[in-house]
Parts: sequence; structure tokens; C-alpha cells
Amino acid sequence: MRNKLLILLSLLVIGTMVLAACGGGQPTAAPAAPAEPAAEEAAPTEAPAAEEAAPTEAPAAEEAAATEAPAADTGVALTIWADEVRAPILEDLGAKFAEQTGVKLVVVQKAIGDIRADFITAAPTGSGPDIILGAHDWIGELNASGLLAPVELGPNAAGFAPNAVQAFTFTDGKIYGMPQATENIALIYNTDLVPTPPTTFDEVKTMSQAIKDAGTKYGFLRQVGDPYHYYPIQTAFGGYIFGQNADGSYNAEDLGLNNEGSVAALTWLDSMYADGLLDRNANITGDLMTSAFQNGDAAMIISGPWAINGIKAAGVPYAVTNIPAGTQPGAPFMGVQGFMLNAFSKNQLLAQTFLQTFVATDETMQAFFDQDPRISAWMPVADKIEDPDLKAFAEAGKVAQPMPNIPAMNSVWGGQGDAITLVETGKLTPQEGADQAQSQVSTAITGQ
Amino acid sequence: MSAATQKVPGGAQAPPGAAPTGILSWILRILALALIDGITIWLVYQMVFDGYVPLAATLALVTIWVNIVFLSGRFYPLRYVAPGLALMVIMVLYPILFTFYVSFTNYGTGHLVTKEVAIEVIESQTYLPADATVYRWTAYKNPAGQYKLWLVNPDDPTEVFTVVPGEEPVAHTGEPPAELDGFTQIPTNQLFGELGALSSLTFGVKPDSAFQVSQTSLGQAARFEQQYVYDPAQDAMIDQQTGEVYYNVNGTFTSESGKTLTPGFAVMTGFQNYVRLFTDPTLSSTFLQVFIWTVVFALMSVFLTFVLGMFLAIVFDVPEMPLRAPLRSLLLIPYTIPAFVAVPVWVGLLNPQFGIISQMIATFTGGWVPAWFTDPIWAKVGILLIQTWLGFPYMFVVVTGALQTLPNDIYEAADLDGANAWAKFRKITLPLLLVTVGPLLVASFAFNFNNFVVISLYNQGGPPMPNTPTPVGYTDILATYTYNIAFGAQGRQDFGYASAITMMIFLILFIITQFQFRYTNMLEERGRNV
Repeated sequence: MRNKLLILLSLLVIGTMVLAACGGGQPTAAPAAPAEPAAEEAAPTEAPAAEEAAPTEAPAAEEAAATEAPAADTGVALTIWADEVRAPILEDLGAKFAEQTGVKLVVVQKAIGDIRADFITAAPTGSGPDIILGAHDWIGELNASGLLAPVELGPNAAGFAPNAVQAFTFTDGKIYGMPQATENIALIYNTDLVPTPPTTFDEVKTMSQAIKDAGTKYGFLRQVGDPYHYYPIQTAFGGYIFGQNADGSYNAEDLGLNNEGSVAALTWLDSMYADGLLDRNANITGDLMTSAFQNGDAAMIISGPWAINGIKAAGVPYAVTNIPAGTQPGAPFMGVQGFMLNAFSKNQLLAQTFLQTFVATDETMQAFFDQDPRISAWMPVADKIEDPDLKAFAEAGKVAQPMPNIPAMNSVWGGQGDAITLVETGKLTPQEGADQAQSQVSTAITGQ
Repeated sequence: MSAATQKVPGGAQAPPGAAPTGILSWILRILALALIDGITIWLVYQMVFDGYVPLAATLALVTIWVNIVFLSGRFYPLRYVAPGLALMVIMVLYPILFTFYVSFTNYGTGHLVTKEVAIEVIESQTYLPADATVYRWTAYKNPAGQYKLWLVNPDDPTEVFTVVPGEEPVAHTGEPPAELDGFTQIPTNQLFGELGALSSLTFGVKPDSAFQVSQTSLGQAARFEQQYVYDPAQDAMIDQQTGEVYYNVNGTFTSESGKTLTPGFAVMTGFQNYVRLFTDPTLSSTFLQVFIWTVVFALMSVFLTFVLGMFLAIVFDVPEMPLRAPLRSLLLIPYTIPAFVAVPVWVGLLNPQFGIISQMIATFTGGWVPAWFTDPIWAKVGILLIQTWLGFPYMFVVVTGALQTLPNDIYEAADLDGANAWAKFRKITLPLLLVTVGPLLVASFAFNFNNFVVISLYNQGGPPMPNTPTPVGYTDILATYTYNIAFGAQGRQDFGYASAITMMIFLILFIITQFQFRYTNMLEERGRNV
């Protein structure tokens, strides 16, 4: 009896203490989004209920990142997720934006892979960012779940490169991102070993033979599998992955993995191995390919601007040129980075206006380029590029095709990668490999 | 004297194991429980607010149970197990049950949100009727926080009026003034901050004079119409512009012509995922092959690491060995290196062209190097090599500990009987070791059955098998194989299907380990007879 009384008493005491603790303050907004931001969380994306007309000029000198807003501040903020390269640039821009408009730009830095994955988780719950900075091939998956709102490019739309805008155009004809920078791969060659660059893949083969006879380990070297880096070879011989409609969008029903051109490309690749110019058992990865080039063991590789710094550091004399041609010029994939809008955001008009009037300007695009030299999707800035390597990549990128942003594209990597690997290791003939790729990928697409 | 009434100093009489009745003990318990209860109530509130009701219920139940354990006399002996049990329920049981639940839904890409959210988002879409005029607006605000729009027709500058939410438009003439009926024009440098509020309002009166600010272009407003309306009777969305009806088909609003609306939402699909699992031709064709390799891989990993670890433990069990302690520490190093680091390093070492190990082999064989990554057999050998290297220190430590518990007198008796070293090992050491180490071997098997990391880092499950309906590699285990099926290379996330696969793997592993536990129980019987 005494025990039961004590239990009841203690429950009462516990209950009182608990209610006192909980009932006092307001529960703070649950931090659902998994960000570790340099800036604060996006609490004010909920509609600012207690809005005041007054001081939004206050944050004039305030960094968007550092200080916690004072409790009375009900100002509006725009949240944007960007990777570690562009987050600092956006923070600088955010300071200027806050000065001019009184709206804070909250920049959350995340690794690029995390932006995509976390956005998919956070956006439907309403606690996602207003804008994300990511790659154009995400819009297939993000649109399948209805996470993106169409972007209006605004009055300055004419300043964007047409193929960059095309990359962000989805099958319904609407544009789902504002492009910022483009990138593509090209042929990088050692100028000591290769005095004049090859213009066709046949020349690549004969040059590789000559270079190998002269003592270097590899003439042309590529990594095993990897459909992304293989695509320019495939297109050079007339192959394609998805056929294009008249307006430039991709048709998921028209899969060209075993058409004549694709088979011809695989045949060329197989002949490089058969003639001993590449080693079937070598298991060359992308890193090994680049380091072979840096050591002078390889004379020609197909890679992107990300490899240039390492090559410069290694001291190898190099130059960048267009992808060689087969029956037509080899067209690499073009990847476009840009700003995308969250369909669940409560600040859609503000985000659109931010993009149209503040981002789509010479000043902002130039600032991006100055701090992160990539080929800009904004034509006035791109025309002023002086760095010879970037200009060469841009030249090679003139025939680049935007990577298909349709959801079916995600089914291509596995099957196509395996098929290329099997042909390279000699387990399948080119025709068999192409047929397997076609059947595996079409099965995967219809199984979606 | 019954054990139930021992006298405790201080005069209080309490049965052993019951809750102590000292006042300090009560205070401490109340404080600790108050803290835990407070945190729980706050968490539960947040979770229910966000819609995570089952998790909130689980947390609440567990906390109530913890309170009972610490306050009631009867359950007090459970107090040391209580935190562990509580965490096990929340962190282990609940995720399993949740995965089981998800396997009956189609949660994944294209079906990420709930039905309410999907309807809300689709209904918020608007369209501009064909004959509608697009006006240019200037915004006003009064000290009470209300807004007014000044609208001008750009094609007909005489059409000017102002409009306020809930009232009919009022005609005006001329340019927008700075002040108007108590409303002040919002200056440009404050305008951006007001956009959110402005776009959420409907100005004017429905249905004929309802104006909304354009969401995509600054400065434009028009009589936007709601594009889709949800009809609960038909469970469909009706397009107000074209009249097309989008029926709810498994979580996606689909029209008869095949067009769909996004976002889709997650619905219960019953056994569909499991049916797909068993009838999927891609899965059934190569499933057996992958399953056999998975079992072989797990068994061989356990066997090789155990044999090497046990051998080294027995060798090092000699107290007179010099430098015993430093050597033992060195042997532990492979265990301390995370697999994420160790496997890529090994992949580099084994590379047929540039790896040191391969080059060393080449000097002995005159140029031939095992095709570590392109030949199915050598790839498996390579993986098992790395697994042995990564795992033997664990077995080494465990067996070293177990060896200390073996009684010496049995060995003396065996010596008297004339047993040699091998007989002593086989008949005494091994059975007694297996009794203690048996459950750990079973656990190691279960872990390696799903050892995604090593397989994926070695060669992503490659080398690829030719002529299969879906991409599959010779070193793919069930976990990597089904991961590819459910998640594709990237970009497609089919959580419902993946959950069904997870439950299937769980079932398989459960059955296998039941047999293994029976075997170790048998060993325990034998061990008692040694």
C-alpha cells in the first residue's frame, strides 16, 4: 500500500516537472532537414504570418552565414543548397542581395551527391530549400516525384546558351532549371609524344601503334566500361543511346545501343585491344588512366577539365582538342549545372524573381566564373573566356549533346557499362555486346 | 528465515531485488525519469506534428515501460536491461517492422509523398484562361498589414483599378499615387520581402474578379484559374481547362490517354512487391547462381579468417615468446583499418598492370599475372584474400581470449594418456573453442552474407556475366544484386521493392542461422562431455 502511494506521488511529481519544462517555452521547429549548415536552418520558409513593413534594411552589413537572427526579426529568407565550390560565391552574392532587397539568402553547403539525395527526402516534407544548385540530369528523377517547379528564365533569357537551356528542358516542354555552367570532355594529348593531334579514330589507332613502337606504354588509353566517357566514341561512328525528336528532346522508345553505328564503335574499340594497343586484363580505372598520362605512360586520353590541374602539376606538356571523328565528329556528353526550384517551396515568386533579376546578369555570372572557372552557360561571359584549355573544351563542346534527362537514362548505365566491359575483356564480340546492352537496357526501362 | 525478509541497515525491510526505498534513491529516480519523460513528450509532439505517428507511439510505449520498471517494485530487477531493451525496440525492432510495412507499399520514386500533400500540390497549380488579360501591378500596404494592388492593363492604359482581398475592384485613373486611402506604396527595396505574402493572397471576389499575382514573373497579375480539382467521389483529378479526368491508378493520377500528374503518392499495394520478386524473370534466372556464391563467400570468409586467427592465437599462446605483446599489436592492425580504405588500397596493389603484388608474381612466373578483376575465379580468390586479411585479427583476439578459459588439467590428463599435439587440438581444444566461439562464427557468417562494402569496392560485383537479362556480375552477392535491381545505377529509388527484397534476405538468413545455432548447441553438449 505504501509502495503504491509512493509510486503515485512520484508520478505526480514527474508529471509536474515535465509539464513545467514543456509548457513554458514554444517548441522550436523540428530540424528535419539533415543539414550541417554554415548558416541557419530554413525556419522562415513558412509563410511569414507576422510580417511587418518595417526594417528589412537592417541586415545591410550582416553576413548571410554568421549570426543568428534576433528573436524579433520576422524577415524573409531564401534558402539555397550548393556544393563547396559555389557556396562561398553564393554567400558573397547573398550579402549584396540582402543589401538591395532586405531578403536574406541562406546558403547551405552540402556535397553534391548529398544535395540530390537529401532534396528528395526533405522536399516533400516541406522543409527543403527553395533553390538547389545541381546537374541537369537530375530533373528526370526529381520530376518523376513532382519535386521541381518550372523556371521562367525571365527578361534576360536570351543571354543563355541554347543547348544549355535545352538540357534543362524536360519532355513536357517546360524548363526546369536556370543554367549556370556547362562542362564536357575532350581529347587531352601529350604534345611531346603527339606533335599533331589526330582528327579521326583511325589516326588514333595508327598513332597509338607508332607511339607504342617508340617505347611508350600506351598511345590512346581509356578506362574500362564507363558509358559516359565512351559516349563520344559511340557517336563518332554514328551510334546513339536515345534518338532525338525534332525539337531536340530525347525519345525513350528509340534505343540505339545496337544500331550499326554503335556496333561499329564497339568494333573499333575491340580492335584496339585485339591489336595489342590496349590490355584486356589491365582493369584500368579513371584514376589509373589519368595517372598514366601524368607519368608519361599514355599519350592520349579522353577526360574533362577536372583532370587539368593534376596534369599541370605533373609537368606533362599537354594540349586539349576536339574528339576525333569516325564517320562524323565525336560528340561528348554535355553536363549543365544550374539552379532548380523546389515545387514545395512557399517562396516561389521570390525565388523566381531572385533568379531572373539577380542571377541572370553579367555581374553575377562573371562572379561565378571568376571564382570557379567553368564554361559559363551565360553567353556574354563565355565569349570572354581567355584560358586556352577552357576555350579548347568549349570548342570541343560545340557539338556536345546534353546528357538525356529523361528517367529512362538511369537504366542505361548498368547494361551499357557491362556490355562495354565484356567487349573490352574479350568475353563477347562487338555485335553480341551491343545486342546484350540493347536487351538489358530495354528490359530495365520497361521494368520501371 | 525466509529470503524475502532480510534486514537492511537503517531499519527498512525490503525483499532483495525490489526497489530501494531510501529517500535519495527516490529523488534521483524521479529526477532522471522526469528528464527522460520531458524529452520524450517533446519528441512525440514533434513527431506527431510531422506525421510520424507509429514512431511516436513506439517511443511513448517504451518510455512508459521504462517508467514502470524504475518505479514499480516488481519490475525493478529489469533495471539494468531496461536501457538496452528500450534501445533495441526503437533501433532494431521498429525499423524491421517499418521495413515490413513499406514492403507492402509502392513508396519510391514517383510515390514519395502522402495523398493529402499530393492533392494539395496539384490543386495549387493554376492556368491562365485563353482570353484573360495580364495586368501589371503595383503593391500597397497599410500599417495593419493589409495589401492592395493597383492594376493596369498594358494594352489599354485607361483600364486602371485597385483591388483588395474580399472586395470588388474599384476603378481609378492616372498613375499609381504614393498614398491611397491609408495604404502606402511598397518601395522597391522592400518589395522582395513582401512577395511571399502577396503571392498567397487572392485579391478581389470570386468567381469573376479574383486576381492573383503571377508566381513566375514579377509584376504580373491575372485572373488565374485553379487547374485541377479533386473529386472525392471518383477519386480523381479533373482538369478544369480541358475537362480531362485523371483517375487514381496505384498512386498516380492517370488519364485515359495515359498522361500523368506529378507528384504521385505512396499507396498500399498489398503483395505486389513480393509477387514481382518471385515472377521477375531477371531475378529468377541468375538468382540461384548469385545465392550460391553469397553462401560460399560467407562460409569461406568465416572459415579462412577463423583458421588463420585460431592458428596464430595458438602459436602466440606461448608465454616464453619474445616480443609477444608488440607482435600481437601489429597483428591487430588490419582490423583497425576501415574496409572503405583497405579495399581500394588492395585493389591498387592487385592491379595486373601497376600493382606491386601482381608485378612480384610476374617475376616468378615470367610474366603471367592472375586476372584479378576480369576472370571470375581469380576475382573470387582476390576478394577472399582481402576478406581474410581484414577479418583474421578479430578471430585472433577472440580465440586468444577463449584459450585462456581452457582448463589445464584436461591437457595434463591427455598427456598422461599419451596424446600427441594434433590429437589434443582436435579432441580438446577445438570442441571447447567452438563452444565459446560458435555464436560469434554464426554472427560473422550473417555479417558476411550481406557484406556489401567489400564486394562493391572490389569491382562493383564484376566481372559482368555475359548473356543475362539484367546486369549481374560474377562476384555479386544477394545484397549488391538486389540493390541494383531496386535502385538501378542511380536515380531510381524503389523503396517498396527493396523492402520486399530485404525481408526475403532476412528470411533466408534467419533459416540458415537457425540451423547454425542448433549446431552450436550440439557442440555445447559435446563440450560438456570433454
